[in-house]
Amino acid sequence: MSLPPRVPSVVLAVGFAVVAGAVLVAASGGDPLAAYWQIAVGALAPDNLPNTLNWAVPLTGMALAVAIPLRGGMVNLGGDGQLVLGGLVAALVPLYLPLPGVLSMFAAILAAALVAGLYAALAAWGEVRHGVPMLISSLLLSYPAMGLASYLSGFPLRDRSSGLPQTVMIPPDARLPPLGDVLNVGAFAILVIAIAVVVFDRRSVVGYELRLRGLNPRFARYGGIALGRQAVATMFASGGIAGLTGATIVLGAQFRFTDGALVTPNYTWSGLMAALLAGGEPVGTIGAALFFAALQTGGFAMQRETAVPRVLTMVLQALVILFLAARHGLRRRAAP
Amino acid sequence: MAPALQASGIVKRYGPLLANDGIDLDVARGEVHAVMGENGAGKSTLMSILYGMQAPDGGTIRLDGVAVRFRSPAEAIAHGLGMVHQAFKLFSSLTVWENIVYGREPRRGPFIDGAAARRAAVALAERYGLAVDPGALVARLSVGVRQRVEILKALYREARVLILDEPTAVLTPPERDVLFAVLRRLVVDGRSVIFVTHKLDEVLAISDRVTVLRAGRVAARMTTRETSAREIVRAMTGRVVADRPDRVSMPQGAALLHAEAITVRGDGRVLVADANLSVNGGEVVGIAGVAGNGQTELVEALVGLRAVASGRVQVNGRDVTQSDVAARREAGLAYIPEDRAAVGTAPTASAADNLAMGFHRRPPLRRGWKLDGTAVRDWARRLIARFDIRIGSERTPVATLSGGNMQKVVLARELSHAAPVLIAEQPTRGLDVGAAEFVHGELLAERARGRAVLLVSAELSEVMALSDRVLVMFGGRIIADLPAAQADEERLGLLMAGRPGVAA
Amino acid sequence: MSVLSPFLVHSAVQAITPILLAALAGVLCGQAGVFNIALEGEMLVGAFAGVAGSYLAGSAVAGVAAGALAGAALALILAYGSTVLRGDAIVIGIGINLLASGLTAYLLRQMFGVSGTFDSPAIVGLAPIAIGGLAGVPLLAAALSRQSVLTWFAWALVVLVAVGLFRTPFGLRLRGLGEQPDAAATLGVDVQAWRVGAVLAGGVLAGLAGVQLSLGAVSVFSEDMSAGRGWIAVVAVMLGRNNPLGAAAACVLFGFADAFGLRLQGQGLPNQLTDIAPYVVTLAALILSHRRRQA
Repeated sequence: MSLPPRVPSVVLAVGFAVVAGAVLVAASGGDPLAAYWQIAVGALAPDNLPNTLNWAVPLTGMALAVAIPLRGGMVNLGGDGQLVLGGLVAALVPLYLPLPGVLSMFAAILAAALVAGLYAALAAWGEVRHGVPMLISSLLLSYPAMGLASYLSGFPLRDRSSGLPQTVMIPPDARLPPLGDVLNVGAFAILVIAIAVVVFDRRSVVGYELRLRGLNPRFARYGGIALGRQAVATMFASGGIAGLTGATIVLGAQFRFTDGALVTPNYTWSGLMAALLAGGEPVGTIGAALFFAALQTGGFAMQRETAVPRVLTMVLQALVILFLAARHGLRRRAAP
Repeated sequence: MAPALQASGIVKRYGPLLANDGIDLDVARGEVHAVMGENGAGKSTLMSILYGMQAPDGGTIRLDGVAVRFRSPAEAIAHGLGMVHQAFKLFSSLTVWENIVYGREPRRGPFIDGAAARRAAVALAERYGLAVDPGALVARLSVGVRQRVEILKALYREARVLILDEPTAVLTPPERDVLFAVLRRLVVDGRSVIFVTHKLDEVLAISDRVTVLRAGRVAARMTTRETSAREIVRAMTGRVVADRPDRVSMPQGAALLHAEAITVRGDGRVLVADANLSVNGGEVVGIAGVAGNGQTELVEALVGLRAVASGRVQVNGRDVTQSDVAARREAGLAYIPEDRAAVGTAPTASAADNLAMGFHRRPPLRRGWKLDGTAVRDWARRLIARFDIRIGSERTPVATLSGGNMQKVVLARELSHAAPVLIAEQPTRGLDVGAAEFVHGELLAERARGRAVLLVSAELSEVMALSDRVLVMFGGRIIADLPAAQADEERLGLLMAGRPGVAA
Repeated sequence: MSVLSPFLVHSAVQAITPILLAALAGVLCGQAGVFNIALEGEMLVGAFAGVAGSYLAGSAVAGVAAGALAGAALALILAYGSTVLRGDAIVIGIGINLLASGLTAYLLRQMFGVSGTFDSPAIVGLAPIAIGGLAGVPLLAAALSRQSVLTWFAWALVVLVAVGLFRTPFGLRLRGLGEQPDAAATLGVDVQAWRVGAVLAGGVLAGLAGVQLSLGAVSVFSEDMSAGRGWIAVVAVMLGRNNPLGAAAACVLFGFADAFGLRLQGQGLPNQLTDIAPYVVTLAALILSHRRRQA
């Protein structure tokens, strides 16, 4: 899981997935060529590129959030909960904490990252202190977080004037300024995070320790790396980025917390698949996230033009991972 | 009458290496046939071919005169072969009788006939003098008893030829005597035993004939009664070996490693009980003992990989009982672990990454929050050159290296700490003679530099050759602390068997 | 008001069935040495195929068969990928879960032209089995009566799996090869074939778990209706340490937590809060079981 896969196997896995997806489309009475063509146009035509980028921003954020622990051989399946907590906190701070505009915005982002980071770190702490496997606990912790957010936005903090379970709008001066027609400054924040993650992975002491843990945790421990502390810190960073991603969506695009709005686009799981595709290596993860963002944005055009449901793109992503896992296995078998 | 087993012209290649180069072996019915040779002589390869684990590139195998060709151990078993591996192949969560009948269960309707299985196990055990409790969980058994279970497993499958691979490495001398008695009953019963070992005394004590391998060929074939230890050694090594590395006597310094009343618990058991030890500068202290008597746990407790229930550890005068691994290393401790691939390296990582571990938190490798890539590579190149590690470049993953070279990576890194205390655990396991000599030389050089060396080894000869003092562990306790002069093989053997009264 | 009302007991028993079936699937895989986290996806596909089969063939039996088959078909990926191809079971499991989520949503739109929830009078649910003669013991009557055939099947299977694992040659071989595949292979057991078999059998059970979800208490399919139950089953397997009886005990605990949540809902608590009850109980149980193991 920790070894980054070689490029050709990724290309091959994508190829297999495309073929399998085509069979599925054809079997359900669609025209696979038309569908794929619409995906490409919908994602990459100059008019549509900003939309693709806009989709890529949170997806990259979530992909990086998962890639960080994955680099150290840990899996964070709780992205949904962390994303939602971040979004919720980011909406509540400007609404209920009387701070002047820009300050309120920064406070909201920081608080979102902090709360989501601590929540993610809870899963690591559970493993270190109580021996509850993080793979399971991170996922299980997601449900209470989402339930709580759902309850708060549906009852005590609900905007009574709206028919939906959502908070009231946050004041304009606490929102992230737009960047062109579609994007907002949140894109810049995720870009900074992406660069930071790449630099830390390649150049820093912390990155070295995390990478070596991923390659052999017993060796890392023997070499003097405190695995428990490292796990908690890594998950804090992971959850923090997820929370920040949620904050950028709420502060930059939706301007309020709406129940389900952060989870429905599936950023978390697409991000997880992007990170898995690259074995947690950050540059590859970002590339995979951009690819998946294009796929999903193109999916809208496909659904509009060919009536093939855009959820097909989700199937394609899963197929890429499955074929890649199989390829990995083949390679391992060739060199025992 | 045809031999029970006859292998002729066995050839096996691994790439350019010729592991078996036309080996002939014939084993008569009712004999114990020893197969001897140094590490890398081709013993293991030959046995895995006989047992169907690997296909030979050439040669034939006959059982009772009939040519056979095994594609799997299961086929070998079906033809009356049995093998007891060095690393036992037992299911530790299952009981003794479940292990014995696994895959060949007596049935009553759709169910296992547990009573019949126990009866069969007990009958076999009594017939050959293999005392075991058929209902016991294998996880709870001592190593010696587990070996009996392995033998029973083979006998239950009606093995007529039994291969034992280094069977005494894990046994105390009294357990070894029991094993020999069992083997004698087996051959009286008309079965044959192939006894793979590199221990001379045992060959002389138990075998009827010996086949000696060297560098993949048969170097000699002898009848035990008509040969001598000298002749066998000459056949094995092709030279006369010095049995002790030269050691100069050293003035001893202060106690650099000091442990007081260490107790370690795990799995609800006491693994190390009230262990005291002290290693001075300029001294090698060896810990002898049969594997599994608490040595590993004691070392892990000293290094900080395992929590102690009570006791104190001092490194270089500093109390590190509450410290983690990093702090203990900082205080002056280097450690060569038992398993170089699982603990001592990250095999898939490059040599540079492996050699940087532990040095990556201080200059010159560290610069602020950064790890200086150039410095890491330079550092690795220097160590590769100084320790003569045979590797393509510092970017090459260490998984590609031979055992000896991988161990050099570990040694290079740990010795470069110039730490006052070095703990070396089974540092020559699985290495060929040359690599082992290199490691021994490095350990003695550390001693000459005035450092404290704690050596843990299951090889009695290694402990005796290198140590100034020898501790013996048994049942989690340190039951003896002897100066090298008093640590002869017989005395240590009795102590390792947990009989201090007799030894004193 | 008593905590164990007949309604609560009835809905708990109902809620236990899918988790229990999936947990038994997990036990089989765990004993064979395959860590199966694809139960969630297998269950979801089973739920969809159950509704589709029942709707298209107009019979609940067809739904059950379709669900079992679909679960096994999805499990085939794990069976083959983690053994013959030696892929990482965790990565494959995650992939399967996402594939199931996407595939069922896709087919829901393509086959039935709806998104979200598919509800039709043409879907034949599993008929509840009435048990007479228990009128005198209200709690028992509530527990046993008007449960689906799959509930009965699940509990019979607990016994069957326990006996099979601990009393038959079949079980001995499975337990052994899961712990020490090398040793089992040496003794002539085809480890890969056994593992493939165990994972496929698990797929059938997880598929049936899904059928119970979509045709047991209700007769609808909605997207992602497995809603984490497959993961709870994974936890039940862990808590029961691969023992079917232990896993069943854990499932009972979760079932009652689930039903208790429903009950609180009846008291006016919003479902967003009560829905988290099983997850909180699950986490607590994990922590407690580890504590006890340490002591």
